[in-house]
Amino acid sequence: MLGARHSNVDSIRTEVRAASWFAALGEPLTDGDRADAFAYCGATDVQRIDSWPEAEAFLKSPNTPLDWWDREEALRKALLARAEAHHPERGLWTSLTELTTEAGDLVHGKAASAAARMGGAAPASIHVAAGAAAQAVYQLAVARLAGDSASPFESKFRLFAAGRWPLGVAGSRLVLF
Amino acid sequence: MERPVTDLVVKTVEELKAAPEEYRDAVAKLVISHAVNELYGAQVFDEPAIAYAPTPYAKWLTCRVAMEEYGHHVRFKQLGTQMGIPEERMMPGAGKKPLSIFEFPLKTWEEFVAIKLLADLAEILQVEDLLHCTFHPLRNLARATMPEERFHAQFGEDFSAELVKTPEGKARLQAAVNEYWPYLPKFFGGSKSKNNEIFRKWKIKQRTNDEMREDFVKRASEVAAKYGLTLPEVRQAA
Repeated sequence: MLGARHSNVDSIRTEVRAASWFAALGEPLTDGDRADAFAYCGATDVQRIDSWPEAEAFLKSPNTPLDWWDREEALRKALLARAEAHHPERGLWTSLTELTTEAGDLVHGKAASAAARMGGAAPASIHVAAGAAAQAVYQLAVARLAGDSASPFESKFRLFAAGRWPLGVAGSRLVLF
Repeated sequence: MERPVTDLVVKTVEELKAAPEEYRDAVAKLVISHAVNELYGAQVFDEPAIAYAPTPYAKWLTCRVAMEEYGHHVRFKQLGTQMGIPEERMMPGAGKKPLSIFEFPLKTWEEFVAIKLLADLAEILQVEDLLHCTFHPLRNLARATMPEERFHAQFGEDFSAELVKTPEGKARLQAAVNEYWPYLPKFFGGSKSKNNEIFRKWKIKQRTNDEMREDFVKRASEVAAKYGLTLPEVRQAA
């Protein structure tokens, strides 16, 4: 029975608590950021976003591509199906829901702190940031519970854990806040 | 005939064990109802809406809303578990009939915006009625939930404001309001509800179903009017 004490989920809880959520927004890119960007989506180019208003403009633009979102959703669904084959459905669902709830509360506070520190963020954008970060936690958990420890969701989570926020992918370019 | 109210206050789950059976049953009914309906809402509306959201901004905002709705279910379920309610009774399909609005799968982004605008206002009223509940763990949970419920209703307002900027968007939103509005006043239960009578007797809840429904219709009409929307006529629940 998969429960709240499942080792994969416990391990992620520890990683979530240790992560530097939103601490490096707008900072200069590092070699580590570029390596994680490549591992995440094959990006050979990383576009740095400097401010909350700039991030909001990118995320709200009807011209921002969504094919990367659809690819991630397809992967998540495939991994979820594999996870469901390995674990009882109710226990899996409960573990994922409890993990995401806990992580959501934590990252929401971190996003609010970052927004207050940097200034210029619309109040709703704090919720958007928390949604993005909590989704990354959920995707990571689904992948690991499916037995896949080398999915793109690992490197996506590492970008968040390093204080970044990957905003989207356009071709071979990752837009990174 | 109106039952006399009591002065019982229950400050902890431990104290609840010594409360009269009618009080314990009433509190359990409310916790089960919230746990089940929060989960239905998240599964039927919020999670599917992520796919319909038009931009990454809207998608992640919807993600956050969905996670918070799931989180409400988790918190009500945790309280129920502390009270000794079996987990199965707090999950869909365990005999608790869902609200009729949950029988219609979400089809468009405009439907979701209409639901956030109006159905989440109904949820706010339900939670407001628990803010002075004599069972303090439930009162505290309501107070913790309220800011998130207000954010969800604001989400509905913000995206309504976006949609009504174009005649096409406004027409689609009005159509969604027309489709979902008739189900919403029923959220508040029957006029002669025995459960509501017991809730008020013990000051678990404060208002009659009809008082809440009347307030909801008034507030919903006001918020709809802000965006140039109208609410269709609805025959009131018996």
